Parts: sequence; structure tokens; C-alpha cells
Amino acid sequence: MVRPRVRKILADLWGNRMRSLLVIASITVGLFAIGVIATLHRVMTEDLRLGYAAANPPNIRIVAAPFDQGLVDHLKKVEGVRQAEGLRGFDARLESRPGEWIGIEFKAVPQDETRQIAQVRLVEGKWPPGDREVVIEQYKIADVNAQIGEWITIELPSGKRRPLKVVGVVSDQTVGAFASGPGFFLAPVQGYVNQETVEWLQQDLPYTYNMLYITVDGDSNDETRLWEVANRVRDEMEHAGGTVINIAVRGSYDHPNRRYLEALAIVLVLLGFLIVFLSGFLITNTMQAIIQQQIQQIGILKTLGSRRYQIILLYMGLILVFGAIAALTAAPLAYRVAFQRVVPLAKTINMAYRGPRFLPHVILLQVGMGLLVPQLAALAPILQGSRISVREALSGVRESQQGRRGWFDRMILRLRGFSRPTLISIRNTFRRKGRLLLTLTTLSLGGAIFIATFNVQVSMDRYVDMVSRYFLADVNLTLARPERVLEINQVLSDLPGVAYVEAWGTARSEMILPDGATGENVQLLAPPVDSRLVDPVMIEGRWVKSGDQNAIVLNERFMSDFPNLRVGDVLRLRLNGKETDWIIVGYFQLAGRSSGLLAYTSRESLLRVINQPDKAMTYRIVAEGKDLSKEEQEALGRAIEARMAARGIRVLDVTTGSYLSSSAAQGFAALTGFLLFLASLTALVGSIGLTGAMSLNVMERTREIGILRAIGATNRILLKLILTEGMLIGFLSWIIAVLAAFPISKLLSDSISQALFGNPSTLAYTPTGFLLWLGAVLILSALASILPARNAARLTIREVLAYE
Amino acid sequence: MDSPALPDRQPIIRARQVVKVYPAGGRPVQALKGVNLDVYAGEFVAIQGKSGAGKTTLVQILTGVDRLTGGEVWVDGAALHRFDENQLAFWRGRNVGVIFQSFYLMPTLSILDNVVLPIDLCGDYHPRRSRELALELLRQVGLEEHAYKLPSQISGGQQQRVAIARALANDPPLIIADEPTGRLDSVNAENIFQIFQSLVNGGKTVLMVTHDEGLASRASRRLILADGEIVADDFVPISVSEATNKTDD
Ligand SMILES: Nc1ncnc2c1ncn2[C@@H]1O[C@H](COP(=O)(O)OP(=O)(O)OP(=O)(O)O)[C@@H](O)[C@H]1O
Ligand SMILES: [Mg+2]
Repeated sequence: MVRPRVRKILADLWGNRMRSLLVIASITVGLFAIGVIATLHRVMTEDLRLGYAAANPPNIRIVAAPFDQGLVDHLKKVEGVRQAEGLRGFDARLESRPGEWIGIEFKAVPQDETRQIAQVRLVEGKWPPGDREVVIEQYKIADVNAQIGEWITIELPSGKRRPLKVVGVVSDQTVGAFASGPGFFLAPVQGYVNQETVEWLQQDLPYTYNMLYITVDGDSNDETRLWEVANRVRDEMEHAGGTVINIAVRGSYDHPNRRYLEALAIVLVLLGFLIVFLSGFLITNTMQAIIQQQIQQIGILKTLGSRRYQIILLYMGLILVFGAIAALTAAPLAYRVAFQRVVPLAKTINMAYRGPRFLPHVILLQVGMGLLVPQLAALAPILQGSRISVREALSGVRESQQGRRGWFDRMILRLRGFSRPTLISIRNTFRRKGRLLLTLTTLSLGGAIFIATFNVQVSMDRYVDMVSRYFLADVNLTLARPERVLEINQVLSDLPGVAYVEAWGTARSEMILPDGATGENVQLLAPPVDSRLVDPVMIEGRWVKSGDQNAIVLNERFMSDFPNLRVGDVLRLRLNGKETDWIIVGYFQLAGRSSGLLAYTSRESLLRVINQPDKAMTYRIVAEGKDLSKEEQEALGRAIEARMAARGIRVLDVTTGSYLSSSAAQGFAALTGFLLFLASLTALVGSIGLTGAMSLNVMERTREIGILRAIGATNRILLKLILTEGMLIGFLSWIIAVLAAFPISKLLSDSISQALFGNPSTLAYTPTGFLLWLGAVLILSALASILPARNAARLTIREVLAYE
Repeated sequence: MDSPALPDRQPIIRARQVVKVYPAGGRPVQALKGVNLDVYAGEFVAIQGKSGAGKTTLVQILTGVDRLTGGEVWVDGAALHRFDENQLAFWRGRNVGVIFQSFYLMPTLSILDNVVLPIDLCGDYHPRRSRELALELLRQVGLEEHAYKLPSQISGGQQQRVAIARALANDPPLIIADEPTGRLDSVNAENIFQIFQSLVNGGKTVLMVTHDEGLASRASRRLILADGEIVADDFVPISVSEATNKTDD
């Protein structure tokens, strides 16, 4: 048998279903958002790290002149080396569409695939590849434009073409791990073939290796230690007669896209906090409304002998039920939505997603918050409500709220020129200022976050645009070997449609650390000093200018990896086996800290250092027309390719500018899409909050509506009254939201920028969020007011006057 | 004016120099201006007076629903002026049945649960026995068959009878009612009065504010309040009033 007092609580829940539903919805939506965010945060940080580590990634990669298995076996004995495997890599091109060639990076795997380092996961088809077969990495499979079982055409640097059969798709966690260019997002298509196929593809010395993968013993995340081992291996290799070309190291958990994820995680944590605040306000607001409505009943309970603690326990119990229902609803919903959302994201950032799973602490967080936050939120109103004297409670008004009138009330009372019903609405709006403040805070905060996510999205789009400022050419041409610039310029300029050609120098170099040891690879790009095809975004210092001697500008990755390196310092690089000093004149911002070490100098400086005659392998070509479409750029690329073939000049690669910049911006695009999702999440919290707050407001007026009704107010007048009030509150909240959106946008955007680039952002604003929220606020306020008002208007006067 | 006390009996209510001032936003209202009152067990007291005279205020002080500004009040030996809100609530729940003009039933609870509620809050609650007791009380006020309805499903007179049954749930010696018949027609009012009368006959003490001259005249004692003071009191020693009642029956 349930006690009557408990039954009162249950009956309250059921008897006022609409209200109960609103309260539960308010709590649920907050818990849901928090659950989604916590799940995403947890799953992404965990899976990215663990997924990468699970592939047993190499800690050291050494590129060297061809060597054999004997040397590999010998190097396994070097101190600190746990596993060592040789492999063969080479670049080629593949025909993605007739006449359309894109780069592909091949790795040869042994016939029996006994490799332990950098293991791939089979997604579809078969693994390992057989003779004349190729397996493709999933990330850029779309660019390949071929299904499993279809044939693709490969063009080797020699110009020879060979067909290969696509037999499988794999996921390789190490894509972009050692590229010294812009990292994962700019990595070309990855293909895997066996050693027989390597021979058939007519590579030199087919059964040798040109790359060495090493994992180390013990702590595989300490970069200094990794370098120690790497240098020992280098010494040993050179001692045995090998030639080391370059070395790169990477920790076992250090996924190439870690930084992107960090940026995402920061957004998640910040929004999580904001949403917790928002839900806190939302719940407090709701609880105050509930307690307000229960004041008279509290009075009756007290008259019947109820002591304060009984009343407190009673209402805490009621709230516990609300919270429990909300938590039970929110947890499975959040689970579904979050895990659904992870899948596309996992693909874009090459995360080894380990599938949906039960996350006890996320559930705990939701249940804990569901049970606790409403109690905290309701504590003040419950304590107040239970403290109110019986006489006051019975009369339903608090004397403390009567009588005293501040300047604001006097001003409101003095308002003229409105119709009487409108005056009633305006006065009602401001009657309970505490509640109004709370409602406004809730609505404004929700709105501000909503608006802010749109602004941040626009800022992200700006970064995407910014990336293209480094890829202003319509076509980038890479030849198989350096050719005389004058000659190539002549050939290209003769081509119809070509307006302008620049020859760029490129070089791969290695950093020489202060102690003389070799550091990471640095990709050097060297446009002519007066290049028209780079419009850099500087973080610090300046770009290379004419008259500079050995001047160099570095990307943001240097700033985070070598914080002690400043403008004016000297950077020592090994280029073509020679060590040279470069003066750092500035830092520029490109694709984020996730990219490799990238530096620009002038072609003139580079030529001086490498002592090359006026030859170049890379050319950047601008078309006559402005703002070419992707298709037009591709057409120009084909024309250039054909012209080169006709002249017998071997081409390694032709890439359009738009392809390059969109690949480089891929990471930002992932963030942008994600932000949109988060914006809709906050919009959901905000609008449920708005609906709840408005409806409760109107429900409190039920009695008043009855009285107005009794003295002859028609439905039209009542509706107008309620609508005016609802929209007035909505509009006020919008104004505050607009103001609050600025600092919140700045906060979010700065944190993302800090994570991606290591410096604060230049924030952009868009009217979209502001306008969308205005629309949402007005529509939702109207709906949220009209529905309960209609209910109230439908009650007979007797029912309304008896309404508690 | 003082009510003369009988030397051999303690009054169930003793009020001395009771003053109540409402702050009312800067211009304080003195609703009670030093009221003295003794009520003895078994009395049926009707309180009368013009609107605004202070009747409700007095009742609220005697039931502990409101605090007094000055003076002292003992009810059944309990010094109400020394109690805090919590002590007042618990004391009231066990010792006084309070009835209001607007019945104040819990709208979401059944009639039966409304009656059991005070036992649950501060009596000896026992799931089965308390229900039986409540049903018995509902039978006394003639509402047994409505036990499982909601308050909104019965008439005003019936609701007031439920309120009385609820007031009796913890078997308090004292019943205090503020215009219990104020919202009822004469038939229902008579009905309620009869119930009070039978409660007095059963040994309870009843205080009832009323505007109804006819009903007031049938109580054992009439008090008239005017402007916060008792201006008339036809107090007769209890033995005489009992004798009067007996001859009336
Ligand atoms: N909460 C309050 N604040 C200020 N003044 C009050 C308050 N309640 C009552 N009063 C004043 O105290 C006086 C006594 O009021 P009370 O309600 O006791 O009168 P009453 O005799 O019960 O009248 P009625 O017959 O109309 O119910 C009146 O002058 C009234 O205006
Ligand atoms: Mg009164």
C-alpha cells in the first residue's frame, strides 16, 4: 500500500501530465546533449589513440638506398629495437577517369604478409594482394573511381602503363604519419601490392627494400628516446655500408590526426560545459515554476501538520522521479545518436572506430546529473517554498513579493498608449522579475550558444578559404626529372589558355638539431621571390622578399614542436647531403599543426644552396580565365599533359589547384560538419527550454485567464494577451542572446584555433545564426504560449477558478 | 474584557493580550488589539463580527497558522507563542482540526486519501487501520460511497464534509473552522452545523467563525469581534451550557 503522501506525488505527476512532460523534457534534453557529447569525447579520444596503437605503428621510419633482409636482421640486434621490418615504397600515377591522372603511393608487402608493424585492417575484399592485384586504402577510395574486381591503369615514372586489379579495401592507420607535407589530408591514394607485382611493374632491384620500419622497446612515446634509437640504427646501417636518406620518428599513440581531434575535443568540452550550465538554468527555472504552483498545497500540507522536512522530502522525491525518468529516456537516446554520429567522423579522420559499446561512466554521468542537478536546481525554491508561512501559502501570494515597487514597476505602471490587454501582458511579463530573469537567462544562453556555433562555422570556412591562398595556380605540374625552365615555360606558354607559368623549387631536407643530431624531415617549397601564386597568412614576422639571403618562413607546426625557435633565429637543414643555415624571417599559417614541417624560401636561395643550373621539376600554371571551375582546371591539366607527351617530356604528376586546396582543407571540413551537428544539438536544448519556460509561464496564468474570461474577455483578446507576453519574452531573450553570442563565439573559435594552429583566431560573423534564432524564438514562443493558453481557454470558468 | 474562569477547570484555549500587526507595506494594520479569551473543553463557540473585524486573524493565531505579534496563547497546555513553525505544524496536525471556507482539499488525491493524509503526516500511520478509520469518518459525514472520487467530482457541501472528516483524522480534541458554511447554501450549511453539533456532543471543543445569525445563535457561546477586539461574549459556565443543551435536545 502506497502512502497517501507518496500517492500525492504520483498523482501530481499524472494529474498534470502536460507540466510533468515539460519538466521531464527539459531535463531529458540536457542529459541527452551531455550524454552525446561525453560519448563522442570518450569514444573519439580513446579510439583514435588505441586504434592507432593497435595497428602497431612504426616508431621510426628510415628511408634508405636499397638494402636487403640481411641488413634488417642485423639491425634487429641494435639496442632499443623491438621489431624491424624492411619494405618497399614507390610513387606512381593512376588513371581515375579517362585521361585523368592522380598520384598513388605504393607499398610492397611480402607474399605471405607476415608483417607485424603497421598492420592494416581489411574492410572489404581480400588481403594480402596476389600477383598483379592491388589493395587500396579506404580513405581516398572514392578518388580511385573503381570497384573491387575492376581494373585500374597505373603509369610508372618511366611512362610505362600497367593494369592492376583492385581486390580489396583496407584501413591503414599510418597514412600521413610520416609525410612531411600537409599530413594525412594531403596524402595521395595508398595502394598495396606484393613483391611479384613490384617486379612486374619494372621497379629497380625488386626484391630489396628502401624503407625500414622500427618499433622500440620500452617507452615508445618519448621522442628523445626514439631519436636515440634511430641514430644508433643509422650509425649501424651506415657502418654496414647502407645509405640513409632520411629518418622520422613517431610515438605509438600519436595518430597523425591527433591535433584535429584535440580541436574537436576542446569544442566538445566547452559546449558540454555550456550545455550543463544551460540545463542547470533550464531545470532551475522549471523547478521554480513547479514549486510556485504548489505553494498553496504546501500551505494545506502544513495546516494538516506537515513539518518542513516532510515537505522538503516530498518535493525532492517528486523531482527524483522526474530526474530518473529523464535519465532513463536520455541515456539510450544519447547512446544511439552519438554512435551514429561517430561513424562518418571516424571515416574522415581515419579513426579505427571500435564500434558502439557500453560506456559505464557516461551512463553514470547522465544518471548522476539527472538525479543531482534537478535537486540542486530545486533546492532554493523548495527551501523557500517550505519556509513560507502557512497563512501566506494558503493565500497563494507571498507578501514579500507584494507592496514594494521599484522604479521599474513604477515606469511600467506609467506606460501609456497601449490597449488595456497589451498593458496587462506587459505588466504580467515583468511581474515576477526573479522568474523572468531566470527564463531570460536560460533562453539567452541557449540562443547565444546556437548563434555562436554558426559564427565559429563561418570562421572555419574562412580557414578553408585561406588554405586556397597557397594554391592559387590552376594546375600544378611535376615532371619526372628537372627540365630547363626556359624550355618548359616556352612549351607551356604556347598552349592556348595558359596565362602565366612559375617554376617552383622543391626539396626534402632534414632538420639538424642544436646538438648536431638529425631531426625530422622538412618539406621545402621555393617559389620565385616575386611569386604571384602564394598569398600567405602570416602569424608572425614576414614572408620572404627579394634581397633576402637564405631566408625561410616556417609553418605553424614548427611553433608547436619547437616553441623556442623564434623569428631571427637560425635553422640548420641538411639538403642534398649538405648542411646549410637558414634565417627564420616569419611564421605562416596553413593547414594546421597536424600537417608536417613545411617551409617556404625563395627559388633563388634554394638554387644557390643546391647549386643547380636553371632547371625545375615543378611548375605552377595559371589559366587565362579567372576563377576556373574544377572541371575547367582538369581540362587544362589534360591539355598540358598531352602537350608534354607530344614533346616527349615525362610527367610525374598533374594536379589541379582546387584538388590540392580541398584536400588540405578536408580536416576543417570535418570540423565544420561537426559544428553544425553541435549547433543543432544546442538548438534542441534551447528550443525545448524555450517551450518549457513559456508553457509553464502560461500555465501559471490559468487562473487569471479564467478570471478575465469571467469578466468577458473573448478568445481573441486572451490569445493576443498571451501571445504578446510570450513574444515579448522571446524577443528580449533574443536581444540578450545576440550580445552574449559575441564572447561565446570568440571563446569557441579561439579554442579551436589554438588547438589547430596554436594561435588565437580571427573571428568571422554571420547573420545566419542570429536570424535563424530570431525566427526560432518567435515561432517557438508563439507556439509554446498558444498551446497551454488554448487549454486554459477551453476550461470552463468553474474549472479554472478551482485550478491549482 | 476577561472571561471569568472556573476555579476547578483549566481552559483548553487561553489567550492573553494577543496582538497581531500586519506590516502591509509600510502602513501597519493592527488586526488584533489585545484579545483575551478562555475556552473550556466541550464548548461550542461561534465567532461573529463584521468583515475585517479580525475573525480570520484570531482563528489563524489560535490554530498556529500564523504567528502573533504580542501576547501569549496556550492551547491544551501548549505555549504556542514559544513554538517555532515546525513545532506548530506537528502540534496542529495532532491536536487541532482546521477547516476553511474554501475547503482546500488536495485536488489530485482521492477523497479517502485526503482523509488519510494527516495521519500519514503526523499520526500513527498504518496502511490498513488508517484506511478503515478514514472510511469510518467518511461514513460519519455520509460520504462513504464517494471515497474513491476526486474532490472535483463532488459538490461543495460534500467537499466541506470531506474537510471535516480530514480534520478529525488524528482525533484532535479541538476543531476550529473559519466560515465553514460561507460558500454553502442553507441546506448544506445546516448539514455541516449538525455534524459540528454531534462532535460537541461527542466531547470535542468546536470554534466556528460564521456570518449566519441563525447558526450562531444555536452555539453554546457567542463571541463578537469588532475592530480587533472582543466586544461581546455570552460566556456561561460549562455546566450551565451543558444543562441548556440537554434541555434543547
Ligand atoms: N495579509 C494581510 N496584510 C495586511 N492586512 C491584513 C492581512 N490580512 C488581513 N488584514 C487586515 O486585518 C484586518 C482583519 O482581517 P481578517 O481577515 O482577520 O478579518 P475577518 O474578520 O476575517 O473579515 P471577513 O469577515 O471579511 O473574513 C482587516 O483590516 C484586514 O484588512
Ligand atoms: Mg475572514
